[in-house]
Amino acid sequence: MTVLEVMERLNIKEETLAIAWIKDAIHLMQSNTKEKVESTKRDLIKSVNSTDNVYLLPSDLVSLENISVLDTSDSRYKKIRRLSTQPHYLVEDTSP
Amino acid sequence: MSFFVDKEWFYYLRGREILLYKFRGGSGVGRISQNGVFQSYDKELMYPNEDIANGLRIEYTRVSEPFVAEALETTVGYNSGIGISFADAGTVVSDSNNGFNTSGKKFALGDKIRIRGSASNDGDYTLNSSTGQSAGALTITGDTFTLEAAGERVSITQIPKEVTTPDSTSHINLNKMLNLAVLDYCKGMLAERNGELDRKEYYMKEFYGKLGDNESNKRNISVTFPSGPFAVR
Repeated sequence: MTVLEVMERLNIKEETLAIAWIKDAIHLMQSNTKEKVESTKRDLIKSVNSTDNVYLLPSDLVSLENISVLDTSDSRYKKIRRLSTQPHYLVEDTSP
Repeated sequence: MSFFVDKEWFYYLRGREILLYKFRGGSGVGRISQNGVFQSYDKELMYPNEDIANGLRIEYTRVSEPFVAEALETTVGYNSGIGISFADAGTVVSDSNNGFNTSGKKFALGDKIRIRGSASNDGDYTLNSSTGQSAGALTITGDTFTLEAAGERVSITQIPKEVTTPDSTSHINLNKMLNLAVLDYCKGMLAERNGELDRKEYYMKEFYGKLGDNESNKRNISVTFPSGPFAVR
């Protein structure tokens, strides 16, 4: 279906408005169902302080599906579990 | 070397950040002694203590390529076979079996294609928009291939080509059912603009209904009920 077809069915003439509504609808769709799932990869870095374990979520994220880490012993990405609360006390491993 | 990451690594979401942790006494710190292998599974957490290239993978949804140049239903170009080869630093992919359809599931000039199954040429490419398409060959533009002889089972599939500056001729990158859902959403927004909130509610219900229909169309579930030998039939 083209944008023009949508505009004709709505009986509106504002093309920019129609495009904005369509984008909003797709956003809502991606938020409620998983029409199109994508993935991104980041390098994991060895943490030497408490900010090195912080990674940013993708800026265009609508809904998070899962997070996995590469198991280098068998070269596979495996889903990791979510902590419901942030740990209060951590032991920084300075000599792993 | 990371082991058992599914058991020993964790994440915590803080706003727009992911915080990674792992067990301090994980399998990676096992020690070998005369009595065997000692491994401790303390419940203490620590920050990840190793570098892993591309080690973190995030799967998510986003508004990706909302508008395309061609309707999804007509994005059907496809070829697969073991006669497909690639020229060295060239732009031509050839099929010795002349498998590139010239009708039906054919590729058109300027289409976007995805190659899978090759040894070194997997990826997304764009076909030349003016020349080079035949039953035996496709020509790409803006990229080059690595030399590869025929032999691998390679599949080439047409994929939607994004329109970055959409206009009235652009297609919505969704199937027909979801296109109708989008239309309901737009009708809802139009009703809201006109102050008709009851109509908006109706169209939003239609929108979510079509989302549900689209999902259930992918899942055929049959339910059977056992009936006893003396059941009334």
